[in-house]
Amino acid sequence: MISANMSILDGSLYFTISLLFLILSFLGYSIFLFTGNKKISKISFFALILTFSIQTFAFIIRWIYAYKIGIDTPPLVDLYDSLVFFSYVIMFGFILLRIFYDFDALGFIITAAAVVVLSFASFSPLATSAIEPTIPALQSYWLLYHIISLFVSYGAFAAAFGLGILYLIKNRKETDKAKKQGRFFSLLPPSAVIEETIYKVVVFGLFFLTVGVVIGAAWADSAWGGFWSWDPKETWSLITWLTYVLFIHAKITKGWSGKKMAWIAIIGFAVVIFCYLGVDLIIPGLHSYATPGSTSVL
Amino acid sequence: MLSKLNKFFSSTKLAIFIFITIGSVSMIGTFIDQGNTMSRYKIIYGAKVFSVLYWLGFLNVYDSWYFILLAALLIINLIMASVNIFPRTLKSVFGPYPSFKEITDKKNPKAVYKSFESGKGIKETISVLNKRLGAPVINKTDKSSRETELYYSKNSILRFSPYIAHLSIIIIVIGILLNAKYGFRSYTNIKVNERTNISYLLKNNKPIKLPFVIRLDKYETEYYHDGITKAYVSTISIINKEHINLLTKDIKVNHPLTYDGITVYQASYGHYKPTAAKILILNLKNSKYKKVVYAQFGKFYDAGIGNVKFKFVPYKNPKRGEIPFFIELGNKRILNFIPLSIKNYRTPLILTKYDDMAFLYEGVKNYYYSGFEITKNSYVGVIWIGSVILIISLFFSFFFNQREVWVRLMNLKDGKKSKVEILAVPKKKFESFYRNFNKKTDLIKKALI
Repeated sequence: MISANMSILDGSLYFTISLLFLILSFLGYSIFLFTGNKKISKISFFALILTFSIQTFAFIIRWIYAYKIGIDTPPLVDLYDSLVFFSYVIMFGFILLRIFYDFDALGFIITAAAVVVLSFASFSPLATSAIEPTIPALQSYWLLYHIISLFVSYGAFAAAFGLGILYLIKNRKETDKAKKQGRFFSLLPPSAVIEETIYKVVVFGLFFLTVGVVIGAAWADSAWGGFWSWDPKETWSLITWLTYVLFIHAKITKGWSGKKMAWIAIIGFAVVIFCYLGVDLIIPGLHSYATPGSTSVL
Repeated sequence: MLSKLNKFFSSTKLAIFIFITIGSVSMIGTFIDQGNTMSRYKIIYGAKVFSVLYWLGFLNVYDSWYFILLAALLIINLIMASVNIFPRTLKSVFGPYPSFKEITDKKNPKAVYKSFESGKGIKETISVLNKRLGAPVINKTDKSSRETELYYSKNSILRFSPYIAHLSIIIIVIGILLNAKYGFRSYTNIKVNERTNISYLLKNNKPIKLPFVIRLDKYETEYYHDGITKAYVSTISIINKEHINLLTKDIKVNHPLTYDGITVYQASYGHYKPTAAKILILNLKNSKYKKVVYAQFGKFYDAGIGNVKFKFVPYKNPKRGEIPFFIELGNKRILNFIPLSIKNYRTPLILTKYDDMAFLYEGVKNYYYSGFEITKNSYVGVIWIGSVILIISLFFSFFFNQREVWVRLMNLKDGKKSKVEILAVPKKKFESFYRNFNKKTDLIKKALI
């Protein structure tokens, strides 16, 4: 009872509720893939919008609650909050794509990714929903801007990843003219449209990644005494940046084929995931959290 | 030979190779702990693996010759690629612009062409075109007045933004080099109530002399009510050569102190000696006798009265309400502390007695030291200027469309009708470009028929 009350107070219950709608949306998009029924895709999109709205509400509740218990920094720093926010930006990216382009078929991949991320946040023992006070190294106004810009870029790269998969599927069918295109393939936009969208989404993500890394460097300079320390997270953010810079150069200057670009978008997202989760869970560094017994306070 | 070298150093292939190699080398640095001591590496990897890693430069990749070479190669590639294409960009922005014929002769596979008959004369056709495409940069009619050529360009000035983005990378690299040459990053540990003007460089542990002395007046770890650390606070004073205290300030993570261009950051803390209990020993027969002992757990100390030795011991599992420590004398006798309430004193005295001696517990003493990172961040402003330019130039490169359209108009039927030819070459071969071209030309055609 106490924990139920607590989850209402800190907003985490609403994230769990949003997961139900997200699963509904995922199921809807799965059915849409087989039936091609536009009504079902519309209902799925509505469920996704509902999920997004509930999460927006939950974020507001959580932020207010954190503020009330004396925590000035936004609740975005621990694994639970960052995973929830990751699922939020993944959905946001898809909503934008769905509004500006007719990308219903992408819904299946995006909602699947968001379900995995949000389920991990809700059920993994590694991620707890209790709001913990922020450790000294993260008590800074830079934090909000740093995290938001990076997560916006992560969301864009997630969308590019989904589009990359769609491109490879569609392109294979388009080039193999002997095979008859099934219902699923007819739902996908032409590969040229997908290719262009991958580029636009990557460019959007790269811009925010650059902003996020620069803000991070400025923060590190003001808080730690150096703008760059070759900390594993910093280094992996550079690797991520180089991956997408390579994408842009290969596309614009070399005019690489859509297939190659789709593969870079897919591999690039694996780099993003390692930068986001792998580094935290596998390699210790300045971005890992200090404990009171340890000597380092950064 | 020169042109071959030029081609090699300015090629995108080289750029892609450098991106992949820098990424891979950086990756190695995240899996192998960097900048540790030789002896530590030998313990971690064993002598054989250590010698291989050492030979490959994997123990300090970011300072290795090949990493620096790759960075230098990237800059050369970036400069040469920009220099080679720059005249072409300059021409496309400021002219002379290629004619309709020159563009068609190039047979660019990306180019798109449309031709139709306009029901209006050249003059009226131009006004319709201008409505849809904006003001033309060139409006040239031949001597016979039969043919008119128009050139429309949108956001052409933004063609410089990729160059500015590349330039900003060079500015950032210059900032990093200047910072490495004229700045420093060092660390020093200071015990509470002690001072130093020596700090040790992070890169090689070499001592450097600071232009002032730092004294650590106090160190404190602040906690939230649930025991999680809230802040690590060091009170430090800056003292000049004349021993004058210039300023005193509390510093904590995210709140450093800057003096004379040098910044002191809270970086770590620790105990240089185990925590001790402050024990005041009184002689009940001689009121003048007082002795303070900072007793560490389990160590014997001389009480100073009658050769009595004692040690301060914590209870492993103290009972509820019981004082969780006791005094053990050299003869194994145990003395339990008891609280003694005294009038006008809020907190009771905690004491124990043995013969004519009283042991008063007066709290704990922590032997803290604070670790500081001390840096001189010279020319860091250059890096931030470069970064801001990079962000702005990326914004304009990524989010603004550029468009170049050539139109050729020919008089038909004594000027009452005209032939319209529209030609466009996209920067990127995107589906939306061709879709928009068709949409736009259809609208123009509709307005002219």
